[in-house]
Amino acid sequence: MFIVALKGLAARKLRLLLTAVSIALGVSFVTGTFVLGDTMTATFDKLYADMGQGTDVTVRARPAFTDAPTMGSPRPMPVDLVDRVREVPGVAAAEGGITGYALMLDKSGKPIQPGGAPTLGVSHAEDEKLGGSISLRAGRAPAGPNEVAIDAATARKHGYAPGDRIRIVFESGKPADFALVGVIGFGDADNLAGATLAAFDLTTAQQVLGRPGQVDQIAVRATDGIGPDELRTRIAAVLPADLEAVTRATVAGEASRAVREGLSFFTTAFLGFAAVSLLVGGFLIWNTFSILVAQRGREHALLRAIGARRRQLLAAVLTEAVAVGLLASALGLGLGLLVSGGLRGLLAAVGIEVPTTTLQLESRTVVAALAVGLGVTLVAALVPAWRATRVPPIAALREAATPAHTLPKVRIVLGGALLAAGLPALSWAIAGPSRGGAAMLGSLATFVGFLLLAPALVRPLVAVLGAPIARLGMAGELARQNAGRTPRRTASTAAALTIGLTLVVAMTVVATSMKASVADVLVRANRADLILKADSQMAPGIPAAAADKLRVLPEVGVVSPMRFGRIQVAGQTNSVAAVDPGTAEQVADIGVASGSLSALADGEFMATVDEAKAHGWQAGDQVTLRFPHTGDHTLRLAGTYTDTTLLGAGYLITIPTYEENFSERLDVAVLVTAAGGIPADALKRSVQQALADYPNVAVQDTAEFNAAQGATVDQLLGLVNALLGLAVLIALLGVVNTLALSVLERTRELGLLRAVGMTRRQVRACIRWEAVLVAAIGSVLGTVLGLLIGMAAARALAGEGITVLQVPIAQPLVYAVVGAAAGILAAITPARKAAKVDVLRAVVAE
Amino acid sequence: MAPPTSTLLDVAARTVDTVKVYGRNESVVRALDGVTIDFTRGAFTAIMGPSGSGKSTLLHCLAGLDTVTSGEVYIGDTAIAGLSDSDLTLLRRDRLGFVFQTYNLVPTLTAAENIELPLRLAGRRADPAWLETVVAAVGLADRLGHRPAELSGGQQQRVAAARALVTRPEILFADEPTGALDSRSSAELLAFLRRAVDEFGQTIVMVTHDPMAAARADRVVFLADGRIVNEMIAPTTGDILDAMKKLGG
Repeated sequence: MFIVALKGLAARKLRLLLTAVSIALGVSFVTGTFVLGDTMTATFDKLYADMGQGTDVTVRARPAFTDAPTMGSPRPMPVDLVDRVREVPGVAAAEGGITGYALMLDKSGKPIQPGGAPTLGVSHAEDEKLGGSISLRAGRAPAGPNEVAIDAATARKHGYAPGDRIRIVFESGKPADFALVGVIGFGDADNLAGATLAAFDLTTAQQVLGRPGQVDQIAVRATDGIGPDELRTRIAAVLPADLEAVTRATVAGEASRAVREGLSFFTTAFLGFAAVSLLVGGFLIWNTFSILVAQRGREHALLRAIGARRRQLLAAVLTEAVAVGLLASALGLGLGLLVSGGLRGLLAAVGIEVPTTTLQLESRTVVAALAVGLGVTLVAALVPAWRATRVPPIAALREAATPAHTLPKVRIVLGGALLAAGLPALSWAIAGPSRGGAAMLGSLATFVGFLLLAPALVRPLVAVLGAPIARLGMAGELARQNAGRTPRRTASTAAALTIGLTLVVAMTVVATSMKASVADVLVRANRADLILKADSQMAPGIPAAAADKLRVLPEVGVVSPMRFGRIQVAGQTNSVAAVDPGTAEQVADIGVASGSLSALADGEFMATVDEAKAHGWQAGDQVTLRFPHTGDHTLRLAGTYTDTTLLGAGYLITIPTYEENFSERLDVAVLVTAAGGIPADALKRSVQQALADYPNVAVQDTAEFNAAQGATVDQLLGLVNALLGLAVLIALLGVVNTLALSVLERTRELGLLRAVGMTRRQVRACIRWEAVLVAAIGSVLGTVLGLLIGMAAARALAGEGITVLQVPIAQPLVYAVVGAAAGILAAITPARKAAKVDVLRAVVAE
Repeated sequence: MAPPTSTLLDVAARTVDTVKVYGRNESVVRALDGVTIDFTRGAFTAIMGPSGSGKSTLLHCLAGLDTVTSGEVYIGDTAIAGLSDSDLTLLRRDRLGFVFQTYNLVPTLTAAENIELPLRLAGRRADPAWLETVVAAVGLADRLGHRPAELSGGQQQRVAAARALVTRPEILFADEPTGALDSRSSAELLAFLRRAVDEFGQTIVMVTHDPMAAARADRVVFLADGRIVNEMIAPTTGDILDAMKKLGG
């Protein structure tokens, strides 16, 4: 039986390949994700390990809680601590270091803002060994208030060399010019995980970074013969309670974990897309094997008649599936290496630059590829294989059994029940905000219900969608008949496309609603005329001095800066916004429910009504909030508010309170209103003029801000849809496969048609229209489902800021039409094959 | 039975020294070995011969379904040896009709749609009066809405015959049309073909191995080893059986 199965495969190499490719694409996504993740992790691990090479123990502030967004700048400590550490026996060298914000400008005055990575200003270690893998590639170390050394990548990309002058912008605001004296490398790497780096001597760094007399951390090197743990213990003994000493291993471990956490979002997202692709691929396999089993009914019956046991037949079909699965896994593994490169490019496109290094192919990746490829193929082939064993031996003597036309009752009942439960749940989720559970379960039930009932929908859909095609002539008429001929086959072929399109359309609905919500917030909650933000999405903010500069302009009414941070309340992390109570109400409407925003004092806070209710607070209560650097502080609840859509934070504090507890000094946004009688464009012009020295500040009126936010959403949507496009591509491969098998099955019929006068062109048209019809069915179902699910998802995300549900019309229509038209591409090969049918062999009775 | 016509002036199709060779080198088979024959317009010709005599090959070559190795084939005045696939297709569609042994009908189309198929492929509609005449002649008026799977074998062959006639072809080719039918259905189909010749002046060329079927023809041509070996005008079943015995012996 084994031989029979393998011979069957060898005879159909092309189909085998086509089927395998569908799974291989999904597998390649899984492998690609793993390879990229492993590669990035390995790269960063090595980078951080090298960086900390010469440092045995690090002294730093003990954070109250660690949270990825606040890991950047630890709370500073006085510089005299360095001397105390240096005196500890066993310390060979100890040096204070400081890190802050320094944005370099290129030679034309534009900010050098890397995507995703920070722009760092640091102190340059005098002790070479404490510098770790940092080495001077050219020039010398910076010394004195006017000198800087920069990372090799920035130097290379922007044409800087020692001897040049370079302009740098700091947190404090005004740019300053420096003499570039050195270029720094990091072992083999030209930069530190994509960050730009400007290094000064310690005194200059403290000065320009706005923290004179302070250091962030102290790097310590041990004398020979003393272990890091021993030294750590000794140093810890002389430190105040809010500082800690940690070994090199701890620091490297933390950095590595942070990288992994940062990557996990993308890894999860990519694996999600891989899952969609595999689901679609699974459909394709299931369909292919179903058709094969149906076509080989006679062969199987004959084998049964001559004594093959059911189990042997099952084994034969599954053997074929195993071969397909293995081939798919191997192909996918190879493709995955290419895909990882593609994904890296994709990350770079959204601003996350990944250093290049050797691709990491771990055994886990190989195992995953094999398991996924083989697993999906086997599961998908199981039902068709089992069906093969149900062929009665007597069928061998009859004409090839035609597949049953009626749906099994179980399927109809189950599908109907799921729809009956899913559709009301979806409607309920669409009717109200934040009904996530109903949206999720309703979507799932409706989706599966639709797929189960799809064969029953094929005939009516073919009748409607095929009407214009049938009018084109006999070829169109035949195409319509053929599409409706085996509803289950048509349905499962179309279903693959439905899955992809549902997701694409749903994403589009959510994105459109997201954009509409931004616009709505601006209309409803925003009272400012101008919104100032850093011109790169990835930049941490703009210098506070920019806001100061605007306050004196006659055209300006009020200037209200905002900052953000994370705090913990009763163990839960939440966002906190810092505002200027004196001006905040004039630029934003946050829906104050109790108390007064303008009366908010330092040492007080406001919370959303929901938060206050959740924690059982009354106005005037003293509440303990935990800040990452400064730990627990008790603040008085001054009032509550309802609208978080503009601020996006559950808590409000004043800017002085913020500065006491956070080391960040950049404004995330600055809202500006016009003075009475000043037209918007005059205000904008004067603000832009005033900020000529702040090249990284984007000055936008609400319309521009709206458009910029919309563009960001669109970019993200484009990215997601490009990834989902893979699933659509696989579904089209499915159409190719099904058509090719159908053509094979209809050889005699095609021959007959050719004999009685169907031209080759008509044959091709017939197959083409059939493909278009199948694709159209999948597209229409997908669009309808996508709209429903997208609406429910958008409503469910009301709490995440999607306050407006807006259903796009044009885009889904375009998707549906393009999806259907793609059927033309899918039909090329099968149509060519059909047109080449040997008339004579087809019509001569065997 | 109409008297046989034998005027050479009115020829519906003819072959001149037609040779058809299959295979190469040692395994060469000369399916047609220099066949020259005329098919008179308005006549019902049966081609007979033992298995492998080349009778089906002759029909396929005449109908443009197969190409000849050498020699000439004419449908009316059209030499079909050099025609492109596309021209041959249009020739079959517009000027020829076919009834095969089995699998004559497109399973997704109703009887009526199958009958109109060649016309619809040409983008035309059937002349309603003629369609009615043909349908009435094959006795299928009440079966037109049925699909092939719902028809008996005999009914299917009659639908095929109606389809072959509806375009008023110059020649109707029938390749063992009764081969898969019981005797009653065979008789019905042959009666219909005979009527088509007698009442509508249809030219028919039929390959058969059934002497009863051949006896309904005006003329029977015998092939053996790719050559014409005998010919009879209006023979009886007995005559044919005798001739076959000689060929077989």
